This record gives sequence, C-alpha cells and structure tokens, in this order.
Amino acid sequence: MAEKTTIARPYAKAAFAIAREHSNLGAWLNGLLLAATVVTHARVEPLLTNPRVTAADLADLVIEILGDALDDKGRNFVKLLAANRRLGYLPEIAAIFAHLKSEAERAVDVTVTSAVELSADQQKKLAAAVEKRLARTVRLHSKLDPSLIGGAVLKADDLVIDGSLKGRLDRLEHELAG
Amino acid sequence: MSIKASEISDLIKARIEKFQSATEARNVGTVVTVTDGICRVHGLADARYGEMLEFPGNTFGLALNLEQDSVGAVVLGEYKHIKEGDTVKTTNRILEVPVGPELLGRVVDSLGQPIDGKGPIKAAKQSPIERVAPGVIARKSVSQPVQTGYKAVDSMVPIGRGQRELIIGDRQTGKTALAVDTIINQKASGIKCIYVAVGQKQSSIANVVRKLEENGAMAHTIVVAASASVPAAMQYIAPYSGCTMGEYFMDSGEDALIIYDDLTKQAWAYRQISLLLKRPPGREAYPGDVFYLHSRLLERSARVNEQYVEKATGGKVKGRTGSLTGLPIIETQAGDVTAFVPTNVISITDGQIFLETDLFNAGIRPAMNAGISVSRVGGAAQTDIIKRLGGGIRLALAQYRELAAFSQFASDLDEATRRQLERGVRVTEVMKQKQYAPMSVAEMAISIYAVNSGYMDKVERNKVVVFEAALQAFAHSNHGAALKAINDKPVLKEHEATLKKICDDFVATGAY
Repeated sequence: MAEKTTIARPYAKAAFAIAREHSNLGAWLNGLLLAATVVTHARVEPLLTNPRVTAADLADLVIEILGDALDDKGRNFVKLLAANRRLGYLPEIAAIFAHLKSEAERAVDVTVTSAVELSADQQKKLAAAVEKRLARTVRLHSKLDPSLIGGAVLKADDLVIDGSLKGRLDRLEHELAG
Repeated sequence: MSIKASEISDLIKARIEKFQSATEARNVGTVVTVTDGICRVHGLADARYGEMLEFPGNTFGLALNLEQDSVGAVVLGEYKHIKEGDTVKTTNRILEVPVGPELLGRVVDSLGQPIDGKGPIKAAKQSPIERVAPGVIARKSVSQPVQTGYKAVDSMVPIGRGQRELIIGDRQTGKTALAVDTIINQKASGIKCIYVAVGQKQSSIANVVRKLEENGAMAHTIVVAASASVPAAMQYIAPYSGCTMGEYFMDSGEDALIIYDDLTKQAWAYRQISLLLKRPPGREAYPGDVFYLHSRLLERSARVNEQYVEKATGGKVKGRTGSLTGLPIIETQAGDVTAFVPTNVISITDGQIFLETDLFNAGIRPAMNAGISVSRVGGAAQTDIIKRLGGGIRLALAQYRELAAFSQFASDLDEATRRQLERGVRVTEVMKQKQYAPMSVAEMAISIYAVNSGYMDKVERNKVVVFEAALQAFAHSNHGAALKAINDKPVLKEHEATLKKICDDFVATGAY
C-alpha cells in the first residue's frame, strides 16, 4: 500500500494541477473515481497484466467505457497511464486526488462510528464541534457499530478521537494491567 | 507476605478514581507489512522519530524510519500476533526504563522488566533510554581509580572512574572473566555495577549471575540481559537501557561501572534491523550510522562535576562528583582489529586491553598483551604506590620483549642482557593471576615490589608463582597491620621501608 501510494502520488499531483488550472476539480474527481471502478472490475482487472493486450487497446477500452465522463485531458491522462502500465494504480490516484481536493477546499471527510443511530440534530452538533477543532469544513459520514456499547469514534484522516465506551474500557483494562 | 482482599480492591478503586476518563485523540495508522519484527505502518502522519507506538495486544514498537507514505517500526518483543490491517497508535512518549537503587541485585530485560522471578521492581523513577551525554561544562577530568583487582591491569593499564576502556580479544580469551572480576572487586569500593549482556547464550548469562551471587557481588549489581533468543530490537536497545540505569547513579553523585558484553553483537542486531528497514548497507553490510550507534552510547560514560550533580539532584546532593565508567567488550575474529566495528570502538574509547589467544594458551592469564594495551587517561587516576612501582613493570616487559626477539639468534649473551631476560620472564610470571581472586592495592604492591627489586631473580622461573603465593601468605599472617596501612594511604614514600622489610623477612624464612 505504501509503495503503491508512492507511485500514484506524482500522477495524482499532475492531474490535480491540470484540473485546478481548468477549474473543474469535481469533474476530474468523478472521472477518476469512475475509472478506478472500471479498472478494479473483475472483468477488466486481468486484462491490465495480460501481455497480449497492448497499452493502446487498454486505453481505448477504458476511455470507451467512461465515455463523456472524461474530457480530452482526461483521455490523455488515461492513455499516459496505459502507456506506463500504471492503470492499476487508478484507485490510489483517485484517493490522493480526493485528498488534495479536500485540502484545497479546506474540507475534511469525517467518519463517525457510533453505537446507536445518531439523530440529525446530534450529527449537526458533532459536525460543528469537529469543524471548530480542525478548522475545516466537515463532511460527515456516519457508521453504526453496536460493539462500541456507547459513545462514538470520530476518524478524520489519521486522527482518531475515541469517545466510545469500549475504548474507555480498553484503556481502563490497560491501566489496571500495566 | 499476604495481601488482604480489601487492600487489593481499595487499590483498584483508587486507580479507577485516578483514571483519566477523558476521550483520547490519537494519531493512528494501519499495519501494511510485518517482516521479522519490522512493521511498515501506513498513516501515522504525526509520529515522531524514536516515538513509542502502540500495537494491539499491549505490544509496543519504536518508530525508526519516517518515510513519505509510511513509518518503519521495530516491535519490542513478540510480534507474531500482529497482522496486516491492525491499528497502530502513537503514544507521545519516548522509550523509558525504570531507574534507581531498587534495581540493584536484579536481572532485568531491555525494558527494565524483571526476569529473575523475584517479583516486581518498585522503582520510583523512569528515565528515557536515549539521552544526550553531559556536555563539556558538566565534566571533570578523571582522577580516581577503578580497581579491577588484577595486577596486570591496575599496574599497566589503569582505569579511572568515568573512563571508557575497551576490552578486546578473540572468543575464549577471558574478556568476560576480566569484566566479572572487576565487578566482584567493587564489593568494598561502593561503585555500583551494571552488566549488560547482549546476544549471549542464556546459559552464559545464568553462569555470570551465579558467579556474581556466589561472590557476593550481586547486591551492588544490575544485570540487563538481552540473550540471543530475544528479538534484535531488544538486543539493540539493551546497552542504552543499561546506560540509563547507570546514569541515574552518576547523576546522584555516585560512581557506577557499566560493562557492555558485547558491542559486536549489538552492532549485528542493529545491522539486522537496518537491513530489514531497507536502509542502505555500507561496509560489512553495516548501516551508515554504526559509528554513531556506539559513539553516542560511550559518550554517556563520563565523570561529572559537583555543580552538575547538584543541579541533577535538585540541590539534594552537594559537593560530590559522579561517574559512569564504561567497559565495552568487543569480540574480534581471528585477532583482526582492523574490522569495521573494532576500529570504530577503539577510536571512541580512552584505551584498550588486548587479550590474545596465544598468550591465553601459553598459560598467561589474564592474557593481556602489555605492548599494545594502553590507557590514555587512567594514569592520572592511579594510586601513587602502584603508579611508581608499575612504571618498572612496563619498562621491564618492554625491554624483555625486544631482547627476547633478538636473543633467539644469539648463542651466548652478556651478563646484563641475560639478567634483563630473566627479569622479564619473572615479571611475566608475576602478572599471572587466577580468576575470582582479586588483589588489594597492598597485595599488588608487595608482589610488584618483590619482582622489581630482584627478590625473585634467584627463584626458578616455574617456582615464581609459588614464591608469590607464599609471600602473600607471609605478609598476611605477619604484617596484617602494614597491609592495612598501605591500603589506607597508598603512597610509596611512606611504605617503601615496610615493603623492603616484608620481603627481606620472607626471604630470610626461606619458606618457599
């Protein structure tokens, strides 16, 4: 994973620079996400490493499936990836692109995992609190995990704020054992 | 000792009440690969170099490589339960070990946890294992001796408190024996000892501990054991842990002695970690910072001045200096001191004691090569009596070596040459000493005085050892008070007449 990200980063940065110049970040991200879905498809994935399929054929295939989702620059990008045999890295490229886009928009994706379903009001309050802490606009995604017993766990990139009952019990166990 | 049930629950209650139940915000990452104790972790954007990382199952690791997309960490201890995808958390702490007098008499692992089955260690203090050595302002020059109890070492390569003296030699030349005897000889000196065993057989470590216990030396000793069976990361950090435990005594105005047995194996462990972390290999496949690995460790051996001790103890200890004497051990392969690690450590230390297989097999034990063994600063710390008498020893041996090489070609020698050769043979004999039989300053003085003044010249060479033993016995039974006086005030001027009288009396009895 780490090595894949390292290879994907320069492509993502280049794509991001072009998208920003033409100020169509949203369209590019959509295109990249679609392309990532295509190349991870069970029928397409084996073709990527098949020596009989030429780079040009692969590029044409992906471009044809995506259709209008890509502009000219986007098509060139796919062709470049195909020529360098890097189409398999599209999921990582899309992920880094999304991250760069969030950074540029000073936004952050936050996943809230809670033991019970959160009401709209609770979600709003939580989003406001996180926004204040991270100084970013927050896109909240909620998940349900009854094993947490109570409370919630917030995850924004590498930062995890653990306010769940399970986490507290784990720490108590650690404290008493140590 | 029995513990009441209520006491336990009270204790637990107190701890639960003290427990910080605030939500915790931590930086996390996921394990990508686990290879031989090395984990590659994705994420952990805020991890710092050398920070402790928390793995699942109450396991900790050390962040050693901070790369663009991942963190390379070594797992301290068992790593088989760590899987790909496991969550790793930062702890905002750097690795610490317990320090203090509570550790004396115990055998601990690299993290300071007891492994001798004598129950938990209630150390009041913790200290980080990596610390910067005392600076130039805090230091004081070496002026007090560490007595090893060996005539050969104390007379020719004296060691001062705060010095770093390397013990180097092939396998089976008595390196560990010399180190262990030095610990045993510190029973009365008040020097606290730390014996760090790195990459050794468990049986060898058990042997050393048993010998220390038998000789009553465990009470002032801490043994830090990282045997060959523990993961490389533990072997790598063991010397630093031991050094931190020793620094505690130095900082509190006491004298301590630390033995690293041996640094070759630590370098091997570090090489293994570095290669698994994909750091580029250099000479002998060691990483680029293998010199720094040892230099930063040995720099921490120092003698510090009164002001430093006062500051370190918060004003509790005044007017006392502290010291940490380092005796690193290096094992050479077939006497090759030009290999990478031996040359490094030779250049870092303040002198070295060379032990040689040939001498060992010739029955000269300790098998020290007096010609190339040196102590660069110890002379300033030597007791007056041994310093004055020892000068003759060095000279006699140097002349002997030179003549011995030439005399092999000559059939008949003049009187002066023959005398020097005979003297050299006797000095070599007198320098022999058994293991676990350390000598006091007075005992050494008598033996050295006797051989220097020619009392042994008429003794047959194979009777010299018997002569010396008889002389010592005679001195103990007839001149006990004189020996004590020499030990109390080891100045040659005051005792030269006494030494002469003891030798004369002994020769007159002819009891050898």
